[in-house]
Amino acid sequence: MNKFNAFLSCAILLAMTQFGFAQTIVGSAHDFSGQSWNTTTEICIVCHTPHKADVTVADAPLWNHSLSEVLSYTLYASGTMNSIPGQPDGSSKLCLSCHDGTVALDNFGGVTTGSNFMTGDALVGTSLSNDHPISIDYDAALALADGGLHDPGTTSSGLGGTIAEDMLISGKMQCSSCHDVHNSAVGTNSLLLKSNAASALCLTCHDK
Amino acid sequence: MIRLIFFNLIFLMWIPSIIKSQSIVSTKHNLSVTGPGTVKAVTETEICLFCHTPHNSRPVAPLWNRNDPGATYTLYTSSMLQALPGQPDGSSILCLSCHDGTVALGSVLSRPTAINMSTGTFMPAGVSNMTTNLSNDHPVSFAYTAALATADGQLMPPSGITPPVSLDNGRMQCTSCHDPHKNIYSDFLVATSQNSNLCNSCHQRTYWTASTHGSSTRTWNGVAPDPWPYTEPAMTTVAQNACESCHNPHNSGSNVMLLKYQAEESNCNDCHNGNVASKNVAAQFAKTYRHNISNYTNVHIANEPAAVTNMHVECVDCHNPHASRNQAAVAPNVNGFLTGVKGVNQSGVAVNPAVFAYEICYRCHAGSPGAPTPPTPRIIVQNNVRLEFASGNPSYHSVAAAGVNPNVPSLIAPWTSSSRLYCTDCHASDGASSPAGPHGSIYPHILKRQYSTADNTTESAAAYALCYGCHSRTSILNDVSFGEHSKHIVGERTPCNACHDPHGISSTQGNSTNNSNLINFWTTIVSNSSGGVRRFDDQGLYRGRCYLTCHGENHNPLSY
Repeated sequence: MNKFNAFLSCAILLAMTQFGFAQTIVGSAHDFSGQSWNTTTEICIVCHTPHKADVTVADAPLWNHSLSEVLSYTLYASGTMNSIPGQPDGSSKLCLSCHDGTVALDNFGGVTTGSNFMTGDALVGTSLSNDHPISIDYDAALALADGGLHDPGTTSSGLGGTIAEDMLISGKMQCSSCHDVHNSAVGTNSLLLKSNAASALCLTCHDK
Repeated sequence: MIRLIFFNLIFLMWIPSIIKSQSIVSTKHNLSVTGPGTVKAVTETEICLFCHTPHNSRPVAPLWNRNDPGATYTLYTSSMLQALPGQPDGSSILCLSCHDGTVALGSVLSRPTAINMSTGTFMPAGVSNMTTNLSNDHPVSFAYTAALATADGQLMPPSGITPPVSLDNGRMQCTSCHDPHKNIYSDFLVATSQNSNLCNSCHQRTYWTASTHGSSTRTWNGVAPDPWPYTEPAMTTVAQNACESCHNPHNSGSNVMLLKYQAEESNCNDCHNGNVASKNVAAQFAKTYRHNISNYTNVHIANEPAAVTNMHVECVDCHNPHASRNQAAVAPNVNGFLTGVKGVNQSGVAVNPAVFAYEICYRCHAGSPGAPTPPTPRIIVQNNVRLEFASGNPSYHSVAAAGVNPNVPSLIAPWTSSSRLYCTDCHASDGASSPAGPHGSIYPHILKRQYSTADNTTESAAAYALCYGCHSRTSILNDVSFGEHSKHIVGERTPCNACHDPHGISSTQGNSTNNSNLINFWTTIVSNSSGGVRRFDDQGLYRGRCYLTCHGENHNPLSY
């Protein structure tokens, strides 16, 4: 009985911890409801629509924002990199539909005449050469070849499962591997997937 | 019990993981507030950001988060350097964005203001702050090519550079030796420096493996100074300290060759003073007559010509510290201590390495400027030792060639008239237990025993101990060869040196009639005969005649 109580207490405490990092887009940098260029005053609509979504990008979540037409981003290169990043794909293309700065923020829901563009630190631009590489196949073989990466299939993400389970999409490292676009809990502006105190986010994958 | 076994199992599994995959978190490069070093942030908790940022980095891999120092660096130079290091580039310039001491440690691109550091804005002075003067640091940022390895002659070709040592885009950089994220072997080295394992990855020194410096298990006796001030305390033997017994890859005491000390001999003396090596060579150099190694600094140049033109002497003029080893040889061959040293052969041609020991002496004593002038004024004057020992000469001590005189009855076994000599059979440190070689002596001309040259010396075993070491005093004084030896040496108290020129007489000046048996009179003691002649004539075995006046005795001539 005592053991059961102890277990229950632990479970409740754990649950409270989860509640402590309340996951919400409301009030985050991605909450555009108060932006002058968003006349709908809705939050989700800038990116999503329940109907007639853009299905250009595979598995896109009911996409409602105009996609970037940039075909050739300048990619990150390094002599010590074992991975070979290709042009951004998957969900990263959705992010770049605002963050590469070529598509107006207010080009959503069929509107193509928007005039408000991304500025500031959030503007990644079309040169990704000074940004962490994305759209990389991240598997045990890469980890072995690099020597400074954890095996994503066996290493804990610290979020409940493995890196592969919690941070990769179809085995690929994407923007969403580090960022939770809906979560303002960990850094209002950087919208990180988990806290980077003591560089914990970086060191989840980087065995340094 | 089961729980204990389980716990132990977990613990055992955990140990190798921390050894093999040590994290930056537990190194001095964790500059966050949680870092273990003294140089760290006051409050900043992030670790990676001191160097890296995931977005908007400087356009330099790996996602660099720091500004270029923009400094101009003073580079390493050496007469032996085949590589062409330029201003630091690649990963090296990234390292220098902290380690040159010019960029604020907390100044990163991803923070609007510099991170507050506990030990001040910049890298504190010390070994980690290399400053912008890299002249006393191992060169970096040069193309490590096959051509370079060939030109150097003692470098591993780039195809042989294998992990953990690596080239960065074909160039040697800080990261060739250091892994900034892992400090397994101290100093963030990628491999252990014990036995110079790391250095040897590139530096393939000829002779090194068999050398004493590469293999000796001798240890330091603890008497200051510490010969190994820069290496791990666990490295206790000569072989373990290896390269770093003499060299220091960063902030070296001498810019040239990255030696510990500026004065060349100091790098040898802190082991060869009785504290590490078995013999105290340094003590020999305190004697009155010596090769004066402490008299010159930065005059010796590693790639100087074999025939020395710039008067000096250093330990490394006769010894190759990468090659020297304790191995006996038979004259005239070089022994192990003289392995791998350049020389000048009997024909006056540079050789590398010297095959015969005298070739090393000829570097300076065969016509180099500054070589000591002959101490004894003689009829025939010759200051080039190489010419004195040449095989065509009328007489010579058998250093460079077999002797010319088959009849030397005074020789003490095992010496025979066909024996060969080393220069060091006469010129060496005095004292039976002294290290071999002409380091220093209480006797003039660095002779290893007394050789009295003053006129009117009373004959004794001690007075001519040098000669009597090989030439039987009994035989000489019994007049076995020259029938008047005793009369001259004992009776007239004439030194050996009055009649004999011990090195030899050059065939360019003398002849076998007048200059056999090393006869070349000392002109201060020996003057002309009443007939105005001063000459020796060889007249066959143990026979001859002299024209001279000596001690008032007129020989005009006198025959024997």
